[in-house]
Amino acid sequence: MGTTASAYLTGFGRYLPGEPVDNDGIVARLGGDDPVTSRIRGMILDQNGIRQRHYALDEHGEPTELNEELAVKALRAALDDRGIRPDDLRMLATATTIGDVLVPGFASMVHGRLGGGPMQLLSASGVCASSLQALDAAVGKVKLGEHPRVAVVGSELASRSLRQRRFDGIRAGMDSHFLRWMLSDGAGAVVVEFQPHPTRPSLRVDWVRHVSLAHEHDVCMRAGMDGLEPEVGRTWQDVGIGDAEASGMFVLRQDVGVLDDLAGAGLREFEQLVDIGLVDVSHLDHVVCHYSTNAFRDLAFDGLRKRIPTLDTDRWFSNLETCGNTGAASIFIALEEAWRTGRFSPGETILLAVPESGRFSFAFAHLTVVAPPEPQGATT
Amino acid sequence: MTTDTTATASTADAPGSTSPGESAALSERLAEVWVGLEERLDRVPILRALAEGTVTIDDYRRLLFNLRQQVVDGSPWISRAASNFDIDHFTLRAAAITHAEEEHRDYLMLERDYVAIGGSLDELRAGRKNLGSEALSGYMFTYADRPNPVGLLGAMFIIEGLGAKRAAGWAARFQEVLGLADNQVHFMQYHQEADGAHTGDLQAILDSGIIDDAAADEIVRCAEVVARLYALQLEELDR
Repeated sequence: MGTTASAYLTGFGRYLPGEPVDNDGIVARLGGDDPVTSRIRGMILDQNGIRQRHYALDEHGEPTELNEELAVKALRAALDDRGIRPDDLRMLATATTIGDVLVPGFASMVHGRLGGGPMQLLSASGVCASSLQALDAAVGKVKLGEHPRVAVVGSELASRSLRQRRFDGIRAGMDSHFLRWMLSDGAGAVVVEFQPHPTRPSLRVDWVRHVSLAHEHDVCMRAGMDGLEPEVGRTWQDVGIGDAEASGMFVLRQDVGVLDDLAGAGLREFEQLVDIGLVDVSHLDHVVCHYSTNAFRDLAFDGLRKRIPTLDTDRWFSNLETCGNTGAASIFIALEEAWRTGRFSPGETILLAVPESGRFSFAFAHLTVVAPPEPQGATT
Repeated sequence: MTTDTTATASTADAPGSTSPGESAALSERLAEVWVGLEERLDRVPILRALAEGTVTIDDYRRLLFNLRQQVVDGSPWISRAASNFDIDHFTLRAAAITHAEEEHRDYLMLERDYVAIGGSLDELRAGRKNLGSEALSGYMFTYADRPNPVGLLGAMFIIEGLGAKRAAGWAARFQEVLGLADNQVHFMQYHQEADGAHTGDLQAILDSGIIDDAAADEIVRCAEVVARLYALQLEELDR
């Protein structure tokens, strides 16, 4: 193995469509105003603690933007923050749960809309952790010295799957209600470079890790099939589209009964990172954690505090309550806000943590805040 | 790559032979030129910044940009020299042909490094030579136009010597100061190996006894001029 470069996050951007929607404004967009649904919604909102979110839907529930548009707006914000243009990028890595179209890949569509020059693309698809899978690919290429500048974006337009028309005439259990009143839309982006930002602090990416436990877990979050096991001839692509919709295949569902297991498995993965020395708990200054509801915040926080007794709520950052759960976008939307609001100082370390319920996977990244290089005089 | 064409340079086709003692004297005279060059290089601003650890990524980018404009001429002047060696200088002709062939794609490696650190290939290719590169390139082509331009062995001594003895050190230092990956310093890393082989070939020719006194004087003079102009190229970045 030869010498590698370092990778730095030098630009941060996010885009949240439309005005923030408070809890009373949800029904106008997503529907579900019958008494039973209203009761369930109230209960779930109490539990998840989300006070406001954004939807790419107008007040009648009609779509206002494409997912790729959200992605491009977040990318432009990140590029502006760094002071570079799409032409300066050599690679784009995107993460989303469901793009706008079946084919081609999301990254192709985002690149087409963003513009710039020729570049390498990666469309990471999955759920929440695809965000850090995309980041990992970008960081790897930058460290190898193959690309000087890469942009990474996580983008979600989940509201299409949450609208009333998806629920008309189908049996909606807790497995769909839970997500319907939790997910929302948005995009977050970062710029990754082989050199730190010339005039202000950057976040050096020390490592990114992703692990799947799908070998020992059933599907938890899904769409496009009935039940937890895909069956030959019975996925959404096999049956008629009308039948697929009627049987609720286009509704996002989550097996809420196994979410406690998910939290436990995530904490075990974190413990492993500590045990093998990737996380030095005596020098961990910040944790930016993606979680779907505040119920898991408390679980995760207590779990982390077992290993980091000094961890207090000041060092823990999430904007779930004000930005909602935006899936693959959420970790970048949270990181952008933490960065912009001045939470980080040079020398400090940050752990990003993203559990994904899809079929049990977990992603982590470790960052160090670095000061800008000392200004140097001209050499000639 | 070393080829046996040069490594086995024979005396049979040489115009006049010299004794091993004269070859040693030539080596000493060239070594003296080299010492002078090293002293001058120590004062070149970008190399001083590199040594002091204050060099920036823009400096490295500028260096590659400036070098590229002259490196693309390397193989052409060697080829031109090859065409001007008559049959009595077959060994030198063969060596020059081989060398030109080996180097004619080197600039692509430099271009790849330039792109890998964020430079634009279009801008790099649209670049012009700096004052030192103009002088160096002009001198090399003019010299290569002479019949039997034996003195160019002195140019080789300087240019290949820089590649073999200094380039990898520069690469390592740029990597250390700027945190660069191997993929971003190919050109300089590669030259340690390749030019090490070339200087071996050159030494074989110098030791072969085919260099007479007049040729030795030409070689030393050419080395002096090229050493000065190469340093000038590094001093006159972007000008």
